[in-house]
Amino acid sequence: MRLRPCLVILAFLLAASQAFAAGKIFPYAYNQEDLPNGLRLITIPTDFPNIVSLYIVVGTGSRNEVEPGKTGYAHLFEHLMFRGTAEYPPEKYTSTLKSAGAASNAFTTSDFTAYHTTFSKEDLPVMLSMEADRFQHLDYPEADFKTETLAVLGEYNKNSANPAQKVYETLRATGFTSHTYSHTTMGFLKDIQAMPDAYQYGREFFNRYYRPEYTTIIVAGDIDPKRVRALIDERWGNWKRGNFKAQVPAEPPQDAARRAHIDWPSETLPLMTVAWRGPAYSDDTMDTVALDAISRLGFDQNSPLYQKLVVDEQKVDSLFAGPPNNVDPEFFGVNVRVKDAKDLASIEEQIKATARSFADTPVDPKKLEVLKQHLRYEFALGLDNSESIAATVAQFVALKRTPESMNRYYDMSLKLTPADIQRVAKQVLIDKNLDVVTLTGPAKGAAK
Amino acid sequence: MNSRFLLSALAVTLAATRLCAQPSGVASQPSHVVSGLKVVALPGKSPLVTIRLVFTTGAAFEPADKAGIASLTAQLLSNGGTKTQTYKQINDALYPMATGIQGYSDKEMTTFVGQTHVDNLEKFYAIMRDMVLNPGWRAEDFTRVKDDQLNALRVSLRGNNDEELGKEELYNLIYAGHPYGHENLGAGSVLEKMTVADLQAFYRAHYTQANLIIGIAGGYPPGFAARVKKDFAALPVGKADSFALPKPTGLTHNQVTIIQKDTRSVAWSLGFPLDHKRGDPDFPALLLASSWLGQHRESGGRLYLRMRELRGLNYGDYAYIEYFPSGMFQFEPDPNLARHQQIFQIWLRPVEQPDAVFALRLAMFELTNLVEKGIAPNDFERTRSFLSKYINILTKTKSAELGYAIDSQYYRMGDYNTYLKTALAKLTPDDVNRVIKKYLHADRLQIVGIAKNASELAAALTSGASSPKKYNSDKPQDILSEDKLVEAWPLGLKPEDVKIVPVATVFEN
Repeated sequence: MRLRPCLVILAFLLAASQAFAAGKIFPYAYNQEDLPNGLRLITIPTDFPNIVSLYIVVGTGSRNEVEPGKTGYAHLFEHLMFRGTAEYPPEKYTSTLKSAGAASNAFTTSDFTAYHTTFSKEDLPVMLSMEADRFQHLDYPEADFKTETLAVLGEYNKNSANPAQKVYETLRATGFTSHTYSHTTMGFLKDIQAMPDAYQYGREFFNRYYRPEYTTIIVAGDIDPKRVRALIDERWGNWKRGNFKAQVPAEPPQDAARRAHIDWPSETLPLMTVAWRGPAYSDDTMDTVALDAISRLGFDQNSPLYQKLVVDEQKVDSLFAGPPNNVDPEFFGVNVRVKDAKDLASIEEQIKATARSFADTPVDPKKLEVLKQHLRYEFALGLDNSESIAATVAQFVALKRTPESMNRYYDMSLKLTPADIQRVAKQVLIDKNLDVVTLTGPAKGAAK
Repeated sequence: MNSRFLLSALAVTLAATRLCAQPSGVASQPSHVVSGLKVVALPGKSPLVTIRLVFTTGAAFEPADKAGIASLTAQLLSNGGTKTQTYKQINDALYPMATGIQGYSDKEMTTFVGQTHVDNLEKFYAIMRDMVLNPGWRAEDFTRVKDDQLNALRVSLRGNNDEELGKEELYNLIYAGHPYGHENLGAGSVLEKMTVADLQAFYRAHYTQANLIIGIAGGYPPGFAARVKKDFAALPVGKADSFALPKPTGLTHNQVTIIQKDTRSVAWSLGFPLDHKRGDPDFPALLLASSWLGQHRESGGRLYLRMRELRGLNYGDYAYIEYFPSGMFQFEPDPNLARHQQIFQIWLRPVEQPDAVFALRLAMFELTNLVEKGIAPNDFERTRSFLSKYINILTKTKSAELGYAIDSQYYRMGDYNTYLKTALAKLTPDDVNRVIKKYLHADRLQIVGIAKNASELAAALTSGASSPKKYNSDKPQDILSEDKLVEAWPLGLKPEDVKIVPVATVFEN
């Protein structure tokens, strides 16, 4: 067990602790505190007994993979973080988790990497201590590094049977030419296959991003925030701040629509994504909330297009859309699974026409009110245990490094007007921003 | 990018798992009503209310020529209109509440589950009640839902998901000729011929009071549970579906089915029947053994350590003694998939083609070691500690707690948490090792692989030739020595024990 010298703790003055009042969309009061080394701590006492959920969010994802030939490293690091330290070799780390009955895992996105563990409250000290150790003292031999790259290849392999994954990968490569969003979190296959020889680069990646100024610790559940802060000071206070900033290339505006097609080798229904290059996530403009509203009003289960294509004509068996929700500008995408490839062109036109309609005509205020009601209940239904609370907060922390972004975002949603929606649709959902990817399987009877 | 339907039609929706209510803060005991309709009620202070309507019927009770009818009936009820409302009207009504009702059907249980904020309870409940009591049976709903189920079977499961395909087919092969021996979603050629009248007949026969367990949890108002019970007394009383299932017959030697498909890597699933269920005397010991060998999606299992961590063979390797569909999408199993008979199963995530035979041999080697050597005392202690606490995580939401309570009612046992913790506390390493020897074996395995070069793989499996593993890094001597044993591990397969099946024929008849 690593206990940090008390002198260091004494040097820390408690950062201003902000306790946010209830009454906002997020019903829990939380504390947000910064340590002098730049580490941020968010504590959320909930009324769910006994269980604590710990989310550690590191502000690096595939977006930060700026060097050519080095895609997939943020995700590789998510794996390597389980490769141990001098004090906690992998078998000790695993057996400690096991004795605690903890559910532990991690995931990587374009913008962030999250490590999450849910456990009984009495195990909080050991969990915070063990996590502090691996974030500061990760140490693994080159042979383990090479072996772990194969587990990443195994992950690519298990994803590769799913054609939707291929559509997403192709959309990224089609829509982005300069920005690192051109590759997915998994990375390009050729880069994954070359990972075993990049041990030194792996160390470099860790040294750049696994630093307190990139990291936010979220602790939700049956906790005493003061005690958590003391444990954090003790175990995480010595962590040294870094100084690296990735120069992520900006994506130039798209000047004409683009498209790509994939011939899939085995049996599938045709897939299509119709996407528009959109803005970055915003909680202080109407951009993201307006696109979120369009994705729901235009394409949710009760939308006219869904009713027509899925329920009445039955030409489509899956239709859903989502707004761009990233640190940098990303896609507003409409995803569809079509029953017959001959309908692809017509369905693409109907999706585009639906998008255009938001630019041409203000939405019915009554429909917008129903949507706002939907959003409020959707949020409330999602916060049903400490783990889901921590997970929800982590999504917003990844974007703006504070749970307050969640309150700001929903506040904007409630103020959204038909005119806002029309204005944003006119800016974003236009032909020159369009990227379309289609995928079809072999002709009937041709599948091997 | 996941198709929402893919998930729901696999009968194990993520949504259903996530539809959960807040714990009340006090562990509440289910209140069982012995006479009349069975009700499991877990009142609490949460503003969320979960309703689970579980009919103890499913694919095991389908007529022989109607495979998939239980699932299709549940899908039509939950994705179709009622007598008084069209599907569109239901969607419009549910939308402001931001909720939905999922239906799914397994071998012995058919479940309808929904969660709402208490503000909307009356409106929500009225829809859910009518879905189950007064289905609309509209032709246009039926056409859409049948099409969806066929596509879920042929495209989402068979075409786009090698791992779930292998796991599902393993169950079907192990239970061939038994009421469990077909896919829950049915068979393609059978589904195509199914009619609304067929579904209505199944509904009339099986959606009965005798088969129903009503579950309600969360902050519902006084009198609500009694009202639900009264409403569902409108169902015919009926007779409970029988549990007199034939004993599963195991194999006399290993058998392999390779599903030939144009895919990048090779996915394996293997196992054998297990006639021992939750509540039976040796279940906790078996659970401990399978958790030690391969706790689902956790890094602490033996297979995970030896196959992924030390050798980099794939993304993970796990073991099960209870049905856990959609394991690639979720960390915790859905409740209300109770079965009186199970399988012991090992799931190997896809491996690179050159490693396919070595990976299978290594899994068999580890299983052999477990059977012959058992679990060491310190591993026993750690695994027991894990399970005793992990059970709290499995039931961390009110909805999950309700689901487990309904399962316990069905298995005729007490509260699952208490049962498991009490039983684990009494266990000894000797108990577990005795149970391992009694129930587990590393031969007579049913094995399913999904692979592109099926003939090549079949030849490698039956040739008896060694299958050495090549590494991209230096390995410790103990691993290399063990590999020498593993690469030549006897598979016990003759050419006639390996069958190659074109993927297009799976789940068709």
